[in-house]
Amino acid sequence: MSAMSNTNWDRRNVLRAAMGLAATGGLAACGGNTGRSGGSGEALVQYFHAYGEAGTEQAIKRYAAAYDKARVTTQWITGTNFESKLFSALLTKNAPDMFEFHPQIQMIKSGQVADLSDIMEPVKDDFNPADIASHTIDGKIWGVRMIDDPQFFYYRKSMLEDAGVEPPTTLDELVEAAAKLTTDKVKGVFLGNSITPVMNPLIWSTGANTLTDKNEIAYHTDEVAAGLKKLRTMFKDGHLLLDAPADWWDPSAITQGLVAIQWCGMWAMPVIQKALGDDVGIIPFPTSADGGKPAVTNGGWSMFVNAKSKNVDLAKEYVKWLWIDQKKYQEDWSLSYGFHIPPRTSLAESATKLKTGLPAEGVKLFNEFGHFDNPAWTQAMIVALESVIADTVRKGGDPEAALDKADKIVNRELKKLFG
Amino acid sequence: MSTTTTRGVAKGRATTETPQVRKRRGVRGRTLNFWLFTGPFLIGLAVFVYIPIGWSAYLSFFEARYTVTPSTFVGFDNFTYMLTNEKFTDSLVTFTVFAAFIVPVTWAFSLGLALMVHRLRFMRAFFRSVFFLPTAVSFVAASLIWKMSIFSGVRFGLANTVLSWFGIENVAWLANPNPPWYWLVIITVRLWLQAGFYMILFLAALQNIPPELYEAAAIDGAKPGWQTFWYITLPQLRATSTAVILLLLVAAYQAFDEFFNLLAKTTWGRPPLVELYYTALGENQDYGAGSAGAMILTVLICCVTMLQGKFMGFGRGEESK
Amino acid sequence: MTTTVPPIKDARPGAGERHPVKKRGGGVSSIGLYFATGICALLFLVPFYLIVRNALSTDVEITGENWKFFPTDIQWGNFTELFDDPTVPFAQSLWNSTVVGVLHTVGTLLVCSLAGYGLARIPYKHANKIFYVVLVTLMVPTAVTFVPSFVLVSSLGWVSSLQGLIVPGLFSGFTCFLFRQYFLGFPKELEEAARVDGLSYWGAYWRIVVPNSLNFFAAIATITFISGWNAFLWPLVIGQDQEAWTVQVALSSYMTNQTVNFHLIFMATLISILPLVLVFLFLQRWLVQGVAQTGIKG
Repeated sequence: MSAMSNTNWDRRNVLRAAMGLAATGGLAACGGNTGRSGGSGEALVQYFHAYGEAGTEQAIKRYAAAYDKARVTTQWITGTNFESKLFSALLTKNAPDMFEFHPQIQMIKSGQVADLSDIMEPVKDDFNPADIASHTIDGKIWGVRMIDDPQFFYYRKSMLEDAGVEPPTTLDELVEAAAKLTTDKVKGVFLGNSITPVMNPLIWSTGANTLTDKNEIAYHTDEVAAGLKKLRTMFKDGHLLLDAPADWWDPSAITQGLVAIQWCGMWAMPVIQKALGDDVGIIPFPTSADGGKPAVTNGGWSMFVNAKSKNVDLAKEYVKWLWIDQKKYQEDWSLSYGFHIPPRTSLAESATKLKTGLPAEGVKLFNEFGHFDNPAWTQAMIVALESVIADTVRKGGDPEAALDKADKIVNRELKKLFG
Repeated sequence: MSTTTTRGVAKGRATTETPQVRKRRGVRGRTLNFWLFTGPFLIGLAVFVYIPIGWSAYLSFFEARYTVTPSTFVGFDNFTYMLTNEKFTDSLVTFTVFAAFIVPVTWAFSLGLALMVHRLRFMRAFFRSVFFLPTAVSFVAASLIWKMSIFSGVRFGLANTVLSWFGIENVAWLANPNPPWYWLVIITVRLWLQAGFYMILFLAALQNIPPELYEAAAIDGAKPGWQTFWYITLPQLRATSTAVILLLLVAAYQAFDEFFNLLAKTTWGRPPLVELYYTALGENQDYGAGSAGAMILTVLICCVTMLQGKFMGFGRGEESK
Repeated sequence: MTTTVPPIKDARPGAGERHPVKKRGGGVSSIGLYFATGICALLFLVPFYLIVRNALSTDVEITGENWKFFPTDIQWGNFTELFDDPTVPFAQSLWNSTVVGVLHTVGTLLVCSLAGYGLARIPYKHANKIFYVVLVTLMVPTAVTFVPSFVLVSSLGWVSSLQGLIVPGLFSGFTCFLFRQYFLGFPKELEEAARVDGLSYWGAYWRIVVPNSLNFFAAIATITFISGWNAFLWPLVIGQDQEAWTVQVALSSYMTNQTVNFHLIFMATLISILPLVLVFLFLQRWLVQGVAQTGIKG
């Protein structure tokens, strides 16, 4: 046995010493430092997903530091892990007291978020009515909208001119443009690596919707199926940018010249304008069927209070202080980093940066073609339609079969939520 | 604690009691010692492994959405839901395909590397280091290199750059499942990370083969090369091969990191763990169904492992001891 | 670099004698062998090359239209830029990984080796049943139970803490299994001599068994350290506070961050793998011996 040949006193002593050290070290570790170091009861924790724009994290921490009634710590959680980290944390006693998310009915039905009607009622007339509607369930308001984020297409004017293409107004034109714009170095269109960000705009632009007012399936139409096939054409023919190192929410693809048309959000506008100057325009997702009209996704983020927090009242007070009372911070948050549309009517009216040029066009698209969150459209349903995209556009499967599969999941969800 | 037991045993030895008493005390002392040695581990195992397993088992019989302290008992509903859930059954198929590829490929490749390195006379240590080095790299780091620099779908990815030298268009390695290039990405990343480790196992086993065997074979007229390999080397590597295959299978069951990091929003290429992760922690937060899936998976793994043990005789050596 | 690494066994058994058998090979096949090995080695080194190249380039060069084999100007500044970046506490995460890696290794070694020895060498009528209790846990993938584990650890108040990162991972059924298998093969005579000299199990273990098993301990230590350093899923869930991030979590945060800075990502990758690469190069002898022993037992 080779193991036997190495008996060596020095080494033996070293090992023993190390083990002793470790035993005490382990005990010491168990005793102390939980990283959160208790302190007064006046401590709050908030979760944010990692915004990409420079300075955003410092801004959120700066606002929190200015609050004098509680010590607010911020968890800045990186992009794609945000949902799972938030959801798993909400089960535990280390749950955040406040967190940002989108309005979804299951959080309300399962009692995860606190009723914010009392802080929202006095100011609700100053909010975009659509934002109030999307946060109102059973007559109560459950979250405070921080920012509205319209998502649409950016396009390189010069590239379209060189290829002799007009900005597309129908899905067919987009498919055609993608073909003409594709060269050996540049792809026509970027719809995200997974193509999923355009699922909802596609539905809306055919004139359909995700759910009816009575919360029944409304997306399963022939027009949507036909639209999926058109997306498949672009994918199959190699006119879409795929596997880009930075996904659709990052403007790198269009600023690095990898693509002529990219689906992205209003937040990226300052960066894109800086990189491309005047060589950029924006258009909504084009009409996809007769009777439809162009569509823009009005995403955004809202603050919620964890109903199981030990400090619900204090957390509500902080949310009220920052996102209702401190207009200066709200304005800073909306306009100083990426561009977002303030949900407060008064702020939106005074936002001079959004009054001219490309930002003004963005606001126009938001007002004219925007579709807001539907709280009954939950994460599970979103994922069901993402699977439709994967099965049809990427894998080339039959749209009808894929939509049927999604129907089963969505109906199971609807049944659980509404009986 | 250690001093008392030391004294106890020493006393038992020093005194002149009747053999019977001595023996009984010895048994008790041994029992005490057994628990002294294994106790800390077993307590930890109970708290950090068995309680979560039990908790999972409990959850699997309840409607547990958005909560892990549920109250609605649903019997076997979660199990029937998971077993009829296409996504879950597909993930089992995915795993089977994955294991059917990765296990033999890694086995053959690491054995090949070992055979090559074993025959080298100069720079052996150098080559061994080169092949062994990737073992130090994490799946996260490796997925990052593969996704961002080798197999990115844009023109500055290494794979596409090389293809473009031959005039071949950019390939979307991960986004497009037809043809399923994503398997190439996943298999290569795992191969790169693991092959060196198993090469070392084979290398050690190769060195333990008595040279007389080869000499005897040569005298018997076996041709060096393929024949010696087939009749001497391979049978001598049987124990190592079995161990390697078992280790590879265990590693394949646990596959998560690279799938999670490389494939986004797909309906394909999801092994069971990734599927369960999304069921329990993703959009649904369905801990009941997730736990039921985990139970099903555990039972399957147990069956496969036992079958494999039967067929390949793993653990046989143990009984002989 | 390689001179610091001694070969597995300097006197390879049969190294001399084997040549008669393989003599036929001669020069041509030897060149072929070196050629094939060389090609494989090159392929294995490509990812390392990419890390270094990207870490020392500018983003413009990495994403440029034409492939650059080496950066025109080596960007040493990327190194300081990484540590100056306020959004990801990279230095802190390196420190955390070091502490977690070391304590995790020492703790696992202590707990699992004792248990492995007890199971292998101390006669107890239920020892086999208990061994099966340990074996069963090998078949349950950790990710399967990690939700209840997380809830459990959180109810202990250990989220974002060192003990939360370390303690639950100490009780590895696999490591215990490896130790048991190893101790089964440990020469009985040595212990018996010690017992005759009046040593208890405990005394014999520390004075005889452990000192004679240092190679094996070193190998398991290295493997445990690697797996601790490279662990991802658990630290991801436990490390809620940035202050408790390990280096893998920090790395993945660069990957999922909304803006992609190639040079920073690859500089971070380079630094994250550097400690282990060094460990590998310097401790290779033990590692190789130990790995060899772990695998072929049983």
